[in-house]
Amino acid sequence: MGDTFTKVKITTAFEGKPNARAIKTYVDNDGYAGLKKALGMQPGQIIDEVKASGLRGRGGAGFPTGMKWSFVPKDDKGAKYIICNNDESEPGTFKDRYIAECNPHMILEGMIIAGFAIGANKGYIYTRCDFFDEIKWLETAIREAYDAGFLGDNILGSGFKFHIDHYAGAGAYICGEETGLLSSLEGKKGQPKLKPPFPAISGYLHRPTIVNNTETLAAVPWIINHGAAAHKTMGTEKSPGTKLFCLSGRVKRPGVYELPLGYPIEKLIHEDAGGMLPGYNIKACIPGGSSAPILTAEELKGLTLDYEAIAAKGSMLGSGAIMIIDDSMSMAELLKVTVEFYHHESCGQCTPCREGTGWLANIMTGIMAGEGKKDDLQRMFEISRNMEGKTICALSDAAAMPTKSIVTKFGAEIADFIERGKRA
Amino acid sequence: MSETVTFKLNGKDITVSKGTTVMEAARRENVEIPHFCWHPGLSVAGVCRFCMVKVEGRPKLEIACNLQATNGMDVKTDTDEAKSAHKWALEFHLVNHPLDCPICDQAGECGLQDYYMSVGKYQSQMTRPKVLKPKMLDVGRDLVLDTERCILCSRCVRFEEEVTKTGALGIFDRGDRAIIGTYPGEKIEHNYQTNLVDICPVGAFTSRDFRFKQRVWFLKDKPATCPGCSTGCSVDVFGKPETRSYFRIKPRKGEANGHWMCDKGRHMYSHLNQDVRLRTALTTDTKGRRHDTNFAGAIEDLGKRIAAVNPATDIALLVSAQHTSEEYKSLFNFFVQELGVKKVFQWREPTEKIDSFDGLLYRGDHNANTRGLQNELKEAGFATEVKNEFDFVAGSGAKIVIAITPEIPSTCPSLEKQLNHLTELDFVSFWTSAGSVGDNKKSKHALPMKGFAEKKGTFINHDGKPGKLESPFPCPVVDGRDITEIVAALKSWRHSHGSR
Repeated sequence: MGDTFTKVKITTAFEGKPNARAIKTYVDNDGYAGLKKALGMQPGQIIDEVKASGLRGRGGAGFPTGMKWSFVPKDDKGAKYIICNNDESEPGTFKDRYIAECNPHMILEGMIIAGFAIGANKGYIYTRCDFFDEIKWLETAIREAYDAGFLGDNILGSGFKFHIDHYAGAGAYICGEETGLLSSLEGKKGQPKLKPPFPAISGYLHRPTIVNNTETLAAVPWIINHGAAAHKTMGTEKSPGTKLFCLSGRVKRPGVYELPLGYPIEKLIHEDAGGMLPGYNIKACIPGGSSAPILTAEELKGLTLDYEAIAAKGSMLGSGAIMIIDDSMSMAELLKVTVEFYHHESCGQCTPCREGTGWLANIMTGIMAGEGKKDDLQRMFEISRNMEGKTICALSDAAAMPTKSIVTKFGAEIADFIERGKRA
Repeated sequence: MSETVTFKLNGKDITVSKGTTVMEAARRENVEIPHFCWHPGLSVAGVCRFCMVKVEGRPKLEIACNLQATNGMDVKTDTDEAKSAHKWALEFHLVNHPLDCPICDQAGECGLQDYYMSVGKYQSQMTRPKVLKPKMLDVGRDLVLDTERCILCSRCVRFEEEVTKTGALGIFDRGDRAIIGTYPGEKIEHNYQTNLVDICPVGAFTSRDFRFKQRVWFLKDKPATCPGCSTGCSVDVFGKPETRSYFRIKPRKGEANGHWMCDKGRHMYSHLNQDVRLRTALTTDTKGRRHDTNFAGAIEDLGKRIAAVNPATDIALLVSAQHTSEEYKSLFNFFVQELGVKKVFQWREPTEKIDSFDGLLYRGDHNANTRGLQNELKEAGFATEVKNEFDFVAGSGAKIVIAITPEIPSTCPSLEKQLNHLTELDFVSFWTSAGSVGDNKKSKHALPMKGFAEKKGTFINHDGKPGKLESPFPCPVVDGRDITEIVAALKSWRHSHGSR
């Protein structure tokens, strides 16, 4: 394969640099240049630039970022908020914490620019509570930014006021859902809110609020600094830019890879990551975090890593968490841990999710205990089908999609497991 | 004029004011959209996911409760897709439900049962052990909570937050382990807790008072107005005419009360049951011996006594304010207009705080018809204000006192003391439903009265608004009469005995 892919690093630009997280390192390397440029632009121009860059939400849904920003009412002079969703908890995903590890200032700069664009004067970072070091680094960076005048009541003498506070969650997966996050931030039980109204109209404390993923916000300074056109030269037409991919499983070099969208998955696995560990072969792959439908080894042939190509295969790019399932792994076990995760994490407010995730986990518990029934797989498929698209948030879908795909593509293996389990 | 929108519901054009949800519009049109969490008196939660409807041109089904109708919207509630969604939503609700209908008080008025018959009728696919949760929880004076039956619709939580603003309930834990409960160390203590039983669409909240007393399908409900205070909530009284007994009172949507009523009002049936009522009329003969008698006997006795005195000086009326305006009118017509009685006294509870109000429904005036009595007194020529004139009776010089007692003993803490006091007088004719009048050996004359659920008429509430009694149960006491009937009997006795 030809090496025509960009080597530009955006969100991991400071990877491996000495003293990478310090504000000095950041400023010495064009840090906060995007902010300076942004403060000289009209807010509408910034939104247009982000729209033109084609940047899409990196948290999983892939919604166009500039369009999301444009939903905030422009004539509303009251309080508005920018929230950085750093509650990274999709199984298989470990990219946002890596950005904070490489350079947390990039996140802050993205938030300040976003705040200026939508007319917000306050931002919150909501970080997963288990990220002990990242929490420390982010809070240090916030203090540094205040000291350097990048945060405060009059940023760089522009008259623009922006403050950032940092909050750590309490460990719930559902608080990574943007309205679940808002409920939690408001001090309530972490449960997604009924939509409409959407957060851009009525979010945190019923005020217009933009919730963006960490990786999305971290890409913003580069886009403002280098322009939308430069961003569009990377990636594909519909999925421009670079994306962080979290490669896990029995490959030689698992880890975070920043690659242009449209990158071939086989190249990532076999060249960048050095291929599989000796004695293991790819059986399947979950391309976008545990919520994404599973792909067989066969389906990976020729597959590129962009929103459209993966969607064409019936799965999704999601958070960019690529989990390689090798031939030593039991699909029954995989399905069990998957449905158990969603069972554990369902907030319980919507009936199809509350009861559906529990039902799926209940059936899998039976199968693992040798009490499986012949029609269990068909039942799981039907339950999943009726959980999809029926609830306030996407957690129900997130449980249903992998279940459906696993019982469809690997049903024979699990059926065999059920049979053997009974004999044992 | 508010702005309107026109949309299609199952093919029919419907015009509603802007902001109306499809759920609200459908109810107005009597189109049933199955639902559990939506309640007209509470905010929209959108969590049961039952009220799925198809909007043409939209990829997914939407919930009708949070869907505002817009111009040109084409909504269908009965497509195969919607019907399948309803069936599945019900199945999800029932997966972990204990299905203990045979021992559940909600049976017969349960959303799960009703919807199973209308949109369910599937064979259960649940083959695994169900999730077990705490049962028989004591969460308040009048409540028993079974979290296993609960479908987590959150109506009760929203009621606590939005109506009583007490916020005593929360949903604890997550997923299928989630349970409704009170916060640690707290209980529901307010006067509105049985509303939680009403709004609970299943048998999770049951009423301590009603539990295990009666199957609901044996009960008949009749509309009435609550007699418990001057708010005059619209209610339904539930009784069993075959056994002449009453079991409960529930609120009916009304102008005075919206969807709710208080717990005090809920108990306004208990004084109607036979065991606490005066069941026979009483007379006392010339030798001072007391007899149980029938209605005609008691009327004859009273008729004779009235005929023997000068009404203007010798008769006093002592009137409480728990009867209907129509009754007061006939009472004053006869005694004041016809006989010329001049001594009319108001009988009120001396400890009452008439102007107190809890901010929601319950008022300090525990008489349903204070305003009605005032109106009729005025009409009869008495310029009055609301005051307790009980103490004036003894010194009034009247030889015959007609004492029309308050109907509901529980609303008058001083009633027993007052009754004892009256029995010391020369001759008092008690018109009452209170059993204690019969139990008191000194009572000389008594006529059993009908209760509010057994007569027609009007209460005028604190605001001057009429509340109707129009669908009476048969009176459990054979000789029970209302004031109008007693007065008519006295009149006809007088006529047949030659006096006018």
